[in-house]
Amino acid sequence: MDTFLSALFSGLSGGAIYSVVALGLVIVWRGAGIVNFAQMGQAMFSTYIASTLIQNGYSYWVGFIVAIFAGALIGSLLDLLVMRPLSNKKKTELLSSESMRAAVPVIASLGILAVLQALAGIIWAAEERGFPSPVIREGFVIGGTVMPFTSFDIFVIGTVFITLTITTLFFKKTGMGLAMRATALNQEVAKLSGIRTNHTRTLSWAISGAASSLAGLLIAPTSNLSPNSLDLILIIGFTAAVVGGLNSPAGAVVGGLIVGLVMSFVTFYLTPEDVFLSILVLLLFVLIVKPRGIFSGKDSRRV
Amino acid sequence: MSKGKRHSIFRKSLTRTILFAIVILFAQSTFEPYNQSQLALVLIYFIGVLSVTLLTGISGQLSLGQGALMAVGGYSAALTMINLEYSMWVAIPIAMVVASLAGLLLGVAAARLSGPYLAGTTLVIALAIPTLANRFFSIFKGDEGLVVDSGYPPEWLTNLLGEVTYEEWQLYSVLPFALLALFFASNILLSRTGRVWKSIRDNQSAAALSGVNFSRQKVFAFVVASAFAGVAGALYGMRGLVGPSVYPVSLSLALLTAAVLGGIRSIAGAFIGTIIVVFLPDWINLVLGRFETSSQLADYLPALISGLLLIATVVINPAGVMGGAHHHKKK
Repeated sequence: MDTFLSALFSGLSGGAIYSVVALGLVIVWRGAGIVNFAQMGQAMFSTYIASTLIQNGYSYWVGFIVAIFAGALIGSLLDLLVMRPLSNKKKTELLSSESMRAAVPVIASLGILAVLQALAGIIWAAEERGFPSPVIREGFVIGGTVMPFTSFDIFVIGTVFITLTITTLFFKKTGMGLAMRATALNQEVAKLSGIRTNHTRTLSWAISGAASSLAGLLIAPTSNLSPNSLDLILIIGFTAAVVGGLNSPAGAVVGGLIVGLVMSFVTFYLTPEDVFLSILVLLLFVLIVKPRGIFSGKDSRRV
Repeated sequence: MSKGKRHSIFRKSLTRTILFAIVILFAQSTFEPYNQSQLALVLIYFIGVLSVTLLTGISGQLSLGQGALMAVGGYSAALTMINLEYSMWVAIPIAMVVASLAGLLLGVAAARLSGPYLAGTTLVIALAIPTLANRFFSIFKGDEGLVVDSGYPPEWLTNLLGEVTYEEWQLYSVLPFALLALFFASNILLSRTGRVWKSIRDNQSAAALSGVNFSRQKVFAFVVASAFAGVAGALYGMRGLVGPSVYPVSLSLALLTAAVLGGIRSIAGAFIGTIIVVFLPDWINLVLGRFETSSQLADYLPALISGLLLIATVVINPAGVMGGAHHHKKK
């Protein structure tokens, strides 16, 4: 029973973070039609910025907030400098091929990932550094026994819950959020009804950048920080996004929790070595049984 | 296809292969030992990059997991050589067959996926496959890996050429496979199969309406590309070690970078891109050697520059270095 509770809580707290990673992927996919493989590179970069601030004597929360804004800034810069010029080049001969049109942004995002990691290596050296957490990471003691969840877990789950609420309200209630949803639904029609789709695209990169920075800040205390330390998180987040459906923000959250629970139960009941195989199995299972994810709408794109 | 047409494709590919062999042998005769060994590495990478060119550039399936198929080839060759004590000339064809079978499995799954779904899934595969080495420790020996090498030059070769150095033998043992890979890739590109794959790449619906069974062709492309990757992986392992650290995710990404930089749809582009990716660290060290620099700059500059080159290529000229020539010919 103890093992079960430990697995459950560590799965929920991990899964909450993967939800945010998946949400970042889903927002850029809906807003720009790109799966951003550089996302956790961006998160790594802004977490390093936070870490540098904290090491220089600023409080945790200054680092936290600066990192979130840095994430948004990096995201929008990437759109303005790389992805927008790329999408304006649709007329070239290579890009007239439909599969190349899908492949080129993916390749660009891999290039961005390499550049961000190399820059972090040059600026901050390559050695691993720890990252503080705002609250203690020891189990609660209730009635003399150590409970399997920590105040850090509560902090993670709380932060993620607040973020998800804000995001949902943004997409449902604000004009900009509605404009972004309209663009995701049909770019041409959105353009015709007066939405500046260029702006909404950049905004989705910014929001996704901020979300993934948050994920980076929440992961770093448990995994240390190095230029490559978040690579695996991207893979996990991608799996979470596919499990929930790349088009669905709600799906991203559920997908994140499912992946988190699967990973945690495999770690506690089998061996930690099987975690990535279990992710692969989960991913292939979903792709075969329900390729558009659990929360997908109807399937209209297939030949 | 007429018999004459097939004949001319065959002749064209053979001419290319012979020219390639002459260029390589000439270059190697002017190189010092270190660069001879780098040239052998270029040839191994070239086979792997051709696998990306065929799969992504020609059939339009973006795979980020060719390194995993190289690992399959490397491990099969190493296990054949260690457990069955066969020579590398037997082990490499076996590696090719095993990697093709793995490719068949992957290809059947991949044919259902498109674009970013395929890219992400192959990335997960590239990550998950090397963990098998620890999972089945008794066979694959975990992180330590399996130690293999290409052995010593055979007697007939030393009789023919006199003393053959270690670096020269590295190159000679790889060259035949690179030539075969080039010959087959060239044949595929010029033949009907190549045109069918391109039609799937450019417009799957149109290809289907013209009677192309695109699922089967996509799987076929995956199998062929995996055979290339298997051979490259086996040769790569024979430089000393077959282990999870030899086939990391970054290997898959390096292959893709090489293919894109040179021109993802062309064989010549694959070779140019390979040269850039393999020699870039050396060139950078050559330049950096003149300045006082920190070691972290020297460590990360090659990755930084190849990443920037990759972004510049897709933003400015996505068809790569050899893309322009291709473009003009078509018009």
